[in-house]
Amino acid sequence: MSELAVRAVGLAKGFGEGTARVEVLRGLDVQVKTGEMLAVVGPSGVGKSTLLHILGLLDRPDAGTLELFGCDTAGLRVEERARWRNQKIGYVFQFHALLPEFTLVENAAMPLLIAGIKRREALERAAAVLDAVGLSPRLDHFPDQLSGGEQQRGALARALVAGPRLLLADEPTGNLDAANAHVVFALLKELHLSRRLTSVIVTHNEALAGQCDRILPMAGAGVSEASKGVSR
Amino acid sequence: MTAVLLLAHRWLLALRRRTHVATVSAISMVAMALGAAALVVTLALLEGFQHAIRGQLERGGVHARLLPARGSELPEGEWLAALRQRHPQLEVEEIRSTAVWCMANGVALPAELEVVAGLPRVEVNPVVAARLGLSPGSEVVVASSRLVLTPLGPLPLRRRLRVDVVREGRPGEERGVVRVGEGLAQAFLDVGRGPQAVALRAREAKEAWGVASIVQEDVPEGVVVQSFQELNRPLLAALALERTMIGFAVALVMVVAALNLLCNLALVAAEKRADVALLAAMGLSGRAIFRLFVSVGAGVGVLGGVLGTAAGAVLAFLLDRTQALPLPRGVFVVSHVPFRVQGEAIAVVLAISLAAALLASLAPARAAARRDVLQGLRYE
Repeated sequence: MSELAVRAVGLAKGFGEGTARVEVLRGLDVQVKTGEMLAVVGPSGVGKSTLLHILGLLDRPDAGTLELFGCDTAGLRVEERARWRNQKIGYVFQFHALLPEFTLVENAAMPLLIAGIKRREALERAAAVLDAVGLSPRLDHFPDQLSGGEQQRGALARALVAGPRLLLADEPTGNLDAANAHVVFALLKELHLSRRLTSVIVTHNEALAGQCDRILPMAGAGVSEASKGVSR
Repeated sequence: MTAVLLLAHRWLLALRRRTHVATVSAISMVAMALGAAALVVTLALLEGFQHAIRGQLERGGVHARLLPARGSELPEGEWLAALRQRHPQLEVEEIRSTAVWCMANGVALPAELEVVAGLPRVEVNPVVAARLGLSPGSEVVVASSRLVLTPLGPLPLRRRLRVDVVREGRPGEERGVVRVGEGLAQAFLDVGRGPQAVALRAREAKEAWGVASIVQEDVPEGVVVQSFQELNRPLLAALALERTMIGFAVALVMVVAALNLLCNLALVAAEKRADVALLAAMGLSGRAIFRLFVSVGAGVGVLGGVLGTAAGAVLAFLLDRTQALPLPRGVFVVSHVPFRVQGEAIAVVLAISLAAALLASLAPARAAARRDVLQGLRYE
C-alpha cells in the first residue's frame, strides 16, 4: 500500500488563447497510493475533470510531470498512451455510458476487443464481470432497454473488464437518483477493494466522497490551500 | 472480427436499432447502388450494340484483304490458286473495281462497280438501293468513265442492269457499291486485267479476327495483307471511344454518390463524436479510428457496389432476354435494344465503387481521427 500509483508534480493546464485564456490547473501536486480510493471534490469549473483527463492520459499537462505506477508518462507516444488507457486504466463517465448499437455484454467486452482479444473470450470475460455487478440477466439487452443505474453499472463493468490497475470515475453517480447513486457507489467501492484497484473519483456528492479513503478538495486553479491534505 | 470491423459492421447494419448512423449509411449505400446499377446497365447497353455491330461486321464484311504493295494490280502467278488450295476454310474473292455513276428514277449516284468472278447476279448495297429507290427487279443505268465513239461523238459507256439482290448492309458503309459477274463487267474494265484486290472471308464468322495471320505466310512479296482490325479500324476505334466516353460520363454518377457518401460520413463523424471519444478513452488509437471510418466507407462502397451491380446485371439481362425495347425495322441493324453484361464490366464497376467509397471516406476519417477526444467527451 505504500507505493505510489499516481505521482503528479506541478501540473498546470490552461485553455484558450491571449486574454481569453483560463488557467484551470496551476502547479497542482497529487499523490495517490496504490490501493487508495481518492475523492476529488470541488465546485464546477475548478479543473476536476481536467485533472482526471490528465491522469487518464487523455490530455497532456502544459507543465509538470505525471508518473503512473512509477512510469513517467511524458515520454509515452500516442499509441502507447492508447495502450495504457486500454490495459491499465479504467474509465467511468457521467454521460456516454454505453454504445447504443451494442448489447450490454458487447459494450462491456469492447476494451478487450480493442486489445485484440478474440470475440468469444472477450464476451465470456465481459459476462463474468457483468455478473459481478449483478447484470447477468441483462447481457443481451441494448442500452435503451436498461435503466440509468443499470447502464452505469454496465459502464463500471466495462471499465474493469480489462483488469486495470487505476480506475478513474468522473461523477459516476451524477446522472442517477439517490437510491441508484448509492447502489452504484457501493458497488464501485466493493470492486475497488476486491480487485485491489487504485481509484480516483470526481464527485459532487459529499456523502459519497466521505466514504473514500481520502478527499482532495479543489478550488480555483488547483487544490484549495485551506483544504490541502485532508484525509481520512 | 476486430473491434474496428465490429464497430463498422454495427454502425452500417444497425437499422433495426433505428440509429441515425445506420439510416445515413443506408442512404449512401442506396446512392452508391444506383450509381453502380446505372453504370452496369449503360456498359451492358454499349456492349450490346457493339457486339451486334461487330457480329454484323464478322458476318457480312471482309475478314482480310490482299492489296498490291505497289501499283494497282496484284502480282501474277499461281500463288492465289495455292492459297485457295491451302486454306479451304476461306472464301477467296478476286476484286476488280472501277468508279461508275448509277442512275435511276432521275437520281445519279457515284458508286463503285465491283467485279466478282462467277457472280451470276447483279447486287447493289443498301446505299445505292436507298438513294436511287431500288429493289429487286428494278433497273439501274450504270455509266463508266470509259468512252465509246458514237455518231454524237465520244460518250461514257452506259449499260442498263436489272437488280437481282439488295444485299445486307455493313456497319459504317457509306459508299454505293454495285457487284456484277465478269461477263457483265468486261465492258467496263480492261480485258485481261488482274485483280486489284482479293477479299478473304472465313466460313466461320467468329474466325474473322484471325484470317490475316493465317494467310500472312502464304502471300508473295509485293502483296500486303490488311487484317480485319485494320479494315475496320475507324469504326472499331469509334466504338471503343464511344464506350469509353459514355462509360466515363455515366461513371460521374459514382462520383456524385461518393460525394454523398463523404457528406454522410462527415455527418456520422459528428453524430458519433461522443462515442468515438469514449472508444478513444477505452484505448482505441487514432489510427484505429481512421480505419474505422474508412471501413464504414468501404462497407458502403462494397455493399452498394455489389447490390447495384447485381441489380443492374439482372435488369440488363431481363431487358435483353425479353426484348423489352424494340427498335424500328430497317433503321437499326438490330430488332431490339441489346444488352450484354460482361464480367470485365462488372469487375470495373465494383472497383470503381470501392475506389470511390475509399477516396470519399479518407477526409472524414482523417478528421475523426484527429478530433480532440476531450471535446467529444464534453459534447452533449
